[in-house]
Amino acid sequence: MDSAPVVERLAAPFVAQLLRHDLPGLPQARLDDTVTFIRRRLSSLPSFVRFGVTIIGGLVRAVSIGPAQQPVLRFLAARPLPLFGEYVRLTRSLGYAYVWETWPDSLADGSPK
Amino acid sequence: MSADLNCEVLIVGSGAGGATTATVLAEAGFDVLIAEEGAWVDQGSVTPFSLAQMDLQYRSGGVTVALGAPSIAYTEGRCAGGGTEVNSGLYRRPPGEVVDRWRSQYQIRDLDPTELDSIADEVEKELSVGLTPGTPSEPSRILRDGAEALGWQNSEIPRWMTYPEGTTGFRGERQSMTRTYLPRAIAAGARLVTGLTIDRLVISNGRATSATARRDGQPITVRFRDVIVCGGAIQTPALLQRSGIRKHIGRSLAVHPTVKLAARFDHEVNVPDDVPVHQVKEFAPALSFGGSASNPGLVALSLSDSWRDFAPAVEAWPSISVYYAAITSEGRGRVQAVPGMRDPIVTYRLTRRDKDLLRSGLARLALLMLAAGAQEVYPSFRGAPIVRGRADLATLQERFAAAKASVMTVHLCSTVPLGEDRTRCGADSYGRVHGYSNVFVNDASLLPDAPGVNPQGSVMALAIRNARHFARTERPRG
Repeated sequence: MDSAPVVERLAAPFVAQLLRHDLPGLPQARLDDTVTFIRRRLSSLPSFVRFGVTIIGGLVRAVSIGPAQQPVLRFLAARPLPLFGEYVRLTRSLGYAYVWETWPDSLADGSPK
Repeated sequence: MSADLNCEVLIVGSGAGGATTATVLAEAGFDVLIAEEGAWVDQGSVTPFSLAQMDLQYRSGGVTVALGAPSIAYTEGRCAGGGTEVNSGLYRRPPGEVVDRWRSQYQIRDLDPTELDSIADEVEKELSVGLTPGTPSEPSRILRDGAEALGWQNSEIPRWMTYPEGTTGFRGERQSMTRTYLPRAIAAGARLVTGLTIDRLVISNGRATSATARRDGQPITVRFRDVIVCGGAIQTPALLQRSGIRKHIGRSLAVHPTVKLAARFDHEVNVPDDVPVHQVKEFAPALSFGGSASNPGLVALSLSDSWRDFAPAVEAWPSISVYYAAITSEGRGRVQAVPGMRDPIVTYRLTRRDKDLLRSGLARLALLMLAAGAQEVYPSFRGAPIVRGRADLATLQERFAAAKASVMTVHLCSTVPLGEDRTRCGADSYGRVHGYSNVFVNDASLLPDAPGVNPQGSVMALAIRNARHFARTERPRG
């Protein structure tokens, strides 16, 4: 069972929104690069983790359609819910590691110094 | 022409266990084939501890996890040389008292600490194990000075590293398997095939007859007389289980769980591409302190659990270094291969004592940093306080819960413990899998438990001991 492309498709919008929320100063080109990196990493996760991320990514996507998008994002970003919290944590970890390794002069909001 | 491969001894994996095994057997005249799933990456061609290195040399890009409460992130090398290519290069001999305990508790025949010491002498010469010739790095000095201010035991841990003639610095060239044992094995006639994934051993009447494998996406068969699995403590039991070998396989994963913090000083301390060589052993073996890789990305990662409060610190990353508290755990984990899934499910359960030890370990590590002159300490768990003085340590302990922490490990072992105690050992005293005449294991999986020190020295000494026994008892066809 290979869920690699599915996990990328499901997670990408949430990844972009979360990074925009956490790092509002991150320029669009850097945001795009970071999302591409995270998508690549998600697709190479161990099978069972990828499967779990696919399910959670799908649920998050399902409940964050239209006007619910921002409230759902703020809720998940602020609360360490079981499983969902791990999804947010994984996304953040990968994103922050990539941003500061690639552009170490970034300010705390992601904007270039 | 068939792409199938034939050999006398198939060695699966080329890390600390596989490379040493291949060297001993090739030099003894065996026809050895080493199957390595990853690529050969020259030392120095990629920045150590970088995301690029994780892409090239780690399994799943370094994002692997043992599920539990909390889950424990771990890493596995996936390249020629395995974990030796990507780890800190810190070396400790197998502790004599640990070896004695293993021998008696697991009924390991002829496990002699003196023999392991003698093998360790050889390994240390081969790998150029030694102390830094020059001044330790600033993050390392911090560990030393903090410990000395508190009167805590500390020491510089030797590394497998060579240094330019007359150097006064701390940067050297890592003497990993691709620089040492693998070239020796190849010179003695061993064949190393990279990009070769062994999926399953074909078993008949208690013997493995061949392996089904893939190379460049193409299925191939590898035929052999004997197979020695050296894929590390996760992949070795997974391969055995996929092959139908399950008794006492993958049920007793042991690790050194660690928690981390970032410490900010009033001057530049960050060394992005190296790790400190000092460790603090005042509370060993239960608890040890050391330094982690600290490039800016990893500093950001260590701050991410409490980003709302810690984010401004990331701009001061040149003044920040990351440190860990590691424990010897009473908990155990499992590795379980699942049909239809490429990777096994890995789980780990910390005991209450483990969680308490992580809490007190993190607080003591924060104290160590304050004693070394840290201005601010940022513990890596959700809701952590910024520690600016000793008064804040109580708050740290109060708020800490293992379930909120980023727990990780790089030391994985004990999934096929060796010994004659058949109620819990997967392999005999020399690594032959119980009940299978020609299937052997020779890597970190064999260690009965986590040794409380960097385990690679123990893995190499045990692997060479077992390989020599194999060479004496199995004889090459020659």
